Amino acid sequence: MRPLEGIRILDFTHVLAGPFCTRLLADMGADVVKVNSTKRAAANNAPSSPYYAIWNRNKRALALDMSQDDAKGVAKSLVSQADVVIDNFSLGVLDRWGIGFDDVSTSNDQVIYVQMSGMGSGGPWSDFVTYAPTIHALAGLTYTTGVPDGGPIGLGFSYNDHQAGLHGAVAILSAIEARRQTGKGQRIDLAQFEVGAAMIGVSLLDYFVNGREAKPCGNRLPYDKFAPHGCFQCRSYGGDILDERWLAIVCRDDDEWQALCSVMGAPDWCREEAFCSAEARCENAEELDRHMNAWTRDQDANELMYTLQSAGVPAGVVQTGIDLAESDPQLQAHEFIRFMDEPHPRLGETFADRLPIYFERTPCEIYERSRLLGEDNVSVLADWLGMSEDDVRAGEEAGFLT
Amino acid sequence: MSNRGEALQQTRIVDLSDDKAIYGVKLLADLGADVVRPEPSSGDPLRHRGPFDEESGDSLWYTFFASSRRHFKVDETSSASLYELNALLSSADLCFLGRENSLADRVNVEAARTRNPKLVVVDVSPFGNTGPWSDFKAPDLVASALGGSSGITGDDYTPPLKLFGELNFTISGSYAATAALAGLYHAQETGEGQSIEVPVHECIASSLEHVFMWYYYHEHFPNARAKALERRGSLHWTNLYVVMPTKDGAMMVTPTPNLEAQLAWLVEEGSFQDLLDPKYEEPENRRRYSQRLMEVIREWVAAEDTEDLFFKAQERHAPYGWVQTVPQVANNPQLEARSWWQKTRVGERRVPSPGIPFQFLGTPGQVSESGWLETNASNVLDAVGWED
Repeated sequence: MRPLEGIRILDFTHVLAGPFCTRLLADMGADVVKVNSTKRAAANNAPSSPYYAIWNRNKRALALDMSQDDAKGVAKSLVSQADVVIDNFSLGVLDRWGIGFDDVSTSNDQVIYVQMSGMGSGGPWSDFVTYAPTIHALAGLTYTTGVPDGGPIGLGFSYNDHQAGLHGAVAILSAIEARRQTGKGQRIDLAQFEVGAAMIGVSLLDYFVNGREAKPCGNRLPYDKFAPHGCFQCRSYGGDILDERWLAIVCRDDDEWQALCSVMGAPDWCREEAFCSAEARCENAEELDRHMNAWTRDQDANELMYTLQSAGVPAGVVQTGIDLAESDPQLQAHEFIRFMDEPHPRLGETFADRLPIYFERTPCEIYERSRLLGEDNVSVLADWLGMSEDDVRAGEEAGFLT
Repeated sequence: MSNRGEALQQTRIVDLSDDKAIYGVKLLADLGADVVRPEPSSGDPLRHRGPFDEESGDSLWYTFFASSRRHFKVDETSSASLYELNALLSSADLCFLGRENSLADRVNVEAARTRNPKLVVVDVSPFGNTGPWSDFKAPDLVASALGGSSGITGDDYTPPLKLFGELNFTISGSYAATAALAGLYHAQETGEGQSIEVPVHECIASSLEHVFMWYYYHEHFPNARAKALERRGSLHWTNLYVVMPTKDGAMMVTPTPNLEAQLAWLVEEGSFQDLLDPKYEEPENRRRYSQRLMEVIREWVAAEDTEDLFFKAQERHAPYGWVQTVPQVANNPQLEARSWWQKTRVGERRVPSPGIPFQFLGTPGQVSESGWLETNASNVLDAVGWED
């Protein structure tokens, strides 16, 4: 038994933030019904897309052409049976379909509605269109991730979509707990922008309290006196940027620094006044980094990591996707990557990176491939609405279950 | 006990987390959970994390991450004090453990679970309790390197970079909160508590968007030259989102989701250059067209005023993103209009503080100031008020 078995979720999400949220809940056993349609199933929302396949595992697929009244009628019936309805469309789409919170809560007052829009409901920017890179820029994440005086570098992946998905899961499960106390569902307005802004919460507080403006600081910590604190280049495998090998090394206190000095063979420069305290090392961080780079440059990153960790110095190789997939011994020991038993009809063999939550009593070890458009029409509509297979097939023939 | 009509007001949490899950506990505390955070007699080491209020010396890191809790000191040399610490677990629904929280080693979790079978214990550690790296130390930068996030952050002229601040540990914190609530749901349904492990390393690796897709399906992507993408600044794996310099700042620019609308806009602006050349309609030139489109946009954006361009784009439903500094975020009209900021006490002052990143319409939460239990080792349980 998985922990969330028995929870029914109607999923109107697309792209990453919403599907990642419902994937988390599906991995933990919730019955997530992913609603899609022939008209919407394009690009990364097409079930044949690898992107879609990754974020929509463990869900059942229902096709509803919401431009048709019969589909809206089915959707309304489904919503009345749902514990949770979630969307990350632009504001008002579900209302226009007649299945918004106000329409449905009168007949199902236990339903929890989560709207994961970019900017939230209300406010002068509420209609703005956003994807994760937009949010990164607006929320200060792009500006702060970079090197001093180097201009904004920002994030090369959709970090905030993952955070928004996780926050959505927290919100849903908290609302379910609230419902246990109150007997009532509720609407949750999750603005992905506010999730992003919360990620720089400490810097915002520093601005309000001290008037200080956070600046990009590379691999150093913006506020704490830890040094060395950086990624240092080691022996490369070849001339391509992907052949570079880097090692992150951190000393958070004098014990870790002394251990590092010992591994380095206690060179004379370690004993210079410029490096005798954490404060001094931070003040002279550039010079310290030069010494560190000179020491690491010809060494094997992996071997050096093990040497440093054995000595009690935090160190870690900068891993690429190839490292993670092929040679990370920790991920291998935990069988982090696993392949789906059933081949995907369009993609063939597909994989799952496992849920990084290990429940002792309710392990989440089921990973089923993402489903094609409407592949589960019969089972979903039988389980949720008691419809017969003949009725479902008739709906497919009529075109509203497509 | 909180009674403010908040979502988690009936949930009791003992917070023995460290920096890897403290954000997750904050999420639950701000939603009304009754969270107590015991501290060693020497004080919580996380109170020494900067930045600090220049007037009072208070840690702003701690003010933000340890909000909405009640704190008290545990005398590790006193058996009575340790008894009370352990007794708290008898009445708790959730307990968070972190390897760098010294008090986590002073609770007997198995005994607590025997006394309180519904207890859910969430153990957040760098790599989990098994595997070859389970004893590795991994502060945020090291976790970021090994977890794969640094490998795709930065540019070809920089080292691999960590995300600003501690964005890797906010990921593990969010996972920890999710795990706790799932465990709580199961405990409420069945009466069965359990222990849950959350390895930070896997939390990071599972939140890298394209990385595993690129490895396993690289043949689906015509621009894939290897099974991994190199660090390349803000350029998204689709090649269609990137930060570009403007006349007076920077803008995250993308022609998606409607490339035709972007072209029409460039035509309106007279900045379309050769983009209407029929050669780009040939299927073999579509990829070249995308590259050329981004080049033309870059030239055009470079001469534009950032603020004007942002609002013009959004009027056209183009998801451009104005690259904002921290003061600009602090003064953002959307956050102001949605009453996102809350007030918190720092020293003797009450100052704006980041609010809760979701609005519950039925059971609104709030970021509240943490309180100190005026107590000693003999009356913690009375002060907490958790006796059933």
